[in-house]
Amino acid sequence: MSDVIVAGVGLHPWGKFPEKSWVEMGAEVALSAVADAGMEWTQVEAMVSGAMQWGGSTGMRSGNTISAALGETGVPIANINNACASGGSLMRAAYAMITSGMHDSVLVIGTDKSPKGYFPSVPVLADEPRPPIDMVRWQVGVPNPAYWAIEMRKRMEAYGSTEEHLAQVKVKNSRHGSLNPYARYRKAFTLEQVLASPMVCDPLRLLEICATSDGAAAVVLVSERKARRLGVSPMVKVAACSLASGEFGDPTIRIPLLAAASDTAATAPLLSESRLAAQMAYEQAGLGPEDMDFVELPDNSSWHELQYLETMGFCDPGEAEKLLDAGETALGGRLPVCPSGGFSSFGEATMAQGVLQIVEVTWQLRGTAGARQVEGARKAITEVYGAQANNSACILTT
Amino acid sequence: MGEPMKQTPVLEGAFVSDPEPALVGSRCRSCETVAFPAGFTCPNPRCAHKDVVATPLSRIGRLASWTTVHFPPPPPFVAPDPFVPITVVEVEFVSEGIQVVGPLAGGSVDQLRMGMAMETVVEPYYSDDSGEVIGWKFRPAGGDAHE
Ligand SMILES: [Zn+2]
Repeated sequence: MSDVIVAGVGLHPWGKFPEKSWVEMGAEVALSAVADAGMEWTQVEAMVSGAMQWGGSTGMRSGNTISAALGETGVPIANINNACASGGSLMRAAYAMITSGMHDSVLVIGTDKSPKGYFPSVPVLADEPRPPIDMVRWQVGVPNPAYWAIEMRKRMEAYGSTEEHLAQVKVKNSRHGSLNPYARYRKAFTLEQVLASPMVCDPLRLLEICATSDGAAAVVLVSERKARRLGVSPMVKVAACSLASGEFGDPTIRIPLLAAASDTAATAPLLSESRLAAQMAYEQAGLGPEDMDFVELPDNSSWHELQYLETMGFCDPGEAEKLLDAGETALGGRLPVCPSGGFSSFGEATMAQGVLQIVEVTWQLRGTAGARQVEGARKAITEVYGAQANNSACILTT
Repeated sequence: MGEPMKQTPVLEGAFVSDPEPALVGSRCRSCETVAFPAGFTCPNPRCAHKDVVATPLSRIGRLASWTTVHFPPPPPFVAPDPFVPITVVEVEFVSEGIQVVGPLAGGSVDQLRMGMAMETVVEPYYSDDSGEVIGWKFRPAGGDAHE
């Protein structure tokens, strides 16, 4: 089985780009990743691309749309939608194509333009016998951050976490984001400013919930043999790429559902899919959380950052706030969390955000992350947070 | 002199009003797993029989968590103008082993305490030209949550 190497990466700045289509953004990052790999567009052997639901039918086949724009070469193209876990799912698909020996190079593209505000529901067949639960939950009135706020209130009750902890996560990530020229939000906020931002779903405030953004990212994965031929240096290796789904008995009420096993009756952990995806990745890489030099986790909200430190095995339940308070999760600390600035600085672009994490880790492991460089970084793990219990984690090493 | 407003359930079969308001889920005849809304089969992967029957849940549960939504959700949510923040509560039904979210019926968020007894009610969510959409809500029942 061949090792899988990140040969090239490309990233578009994130923000709102009303004058530019997602096709142009996707094509731009695809070409920069191919050039970064020292390859030509016509040398790419296969493509996987995020199936972008907001782009309608051509968006659902984004890979073909981008390929048609850049020049069709007849290569296999798979379009995948796994909600926010799409980026990791794309990485895993590409990884499998290379480890199986099917291809020596695969281009991974995530490009997305998101609607403003709360993510709305996607239109469905009008004549289904029962309305889909995603329609019902909106009639009930449960936007995504409400699901997170419900979990956060439990955390406050169980561990004494405070609103200041939630705000401090944003203060830290905004400081990291201020050092990243690709981030949408580059202002370093103070505790007072975060606490003065409007409440959205209490206890979560506007600045503690990631925005919806336009963004694009691309990666070229190659076999070790191909990497040597291309002269890739340093060799950033994909040591693991997992994908997991939820387990029966998980107490998390998953977007867009309205019920779950109760906490007392639960037979699986909170965010079971995320815990599993991280465990699978550690196992695959033969590494543990203690080996990681930094982590890019899904800070969709400040609750996520605290919870995922535990879900991904970095600390015991209720200990994440202590790591935060001690400065260990900031740049310069023992385990920098989201040195890129995270989704709180970039915003969510569901098809692209998992790929964004791979680009950031690659730059960090190459030692080219500039002002936000994690000193001596050799190993890192990424994980996203996918709706309806889909999740993926990747470990990169050098 | 208007006719009574036509009432449509937000989700057919998910609750009853008679004899008393209650959520309706499914219960597996074999492994007893309860699901809400009712499933057409048992969601327990280790259950071989999978034969389910519709079953009303306990009327009273315990408050597991809550949040107040301060910005109006998008359609199909129908927001009053001006928007009044809505509180979404999570209620645990202990003997069924599940927790369910729904809107808080009336009252103030200040009265909410973790673990307090909450009762199920059926009330209008909103009304439009075609009538009233009704669904489940929860309100403090007074006292602790006993089964
Ligand atoms: Zn069963």
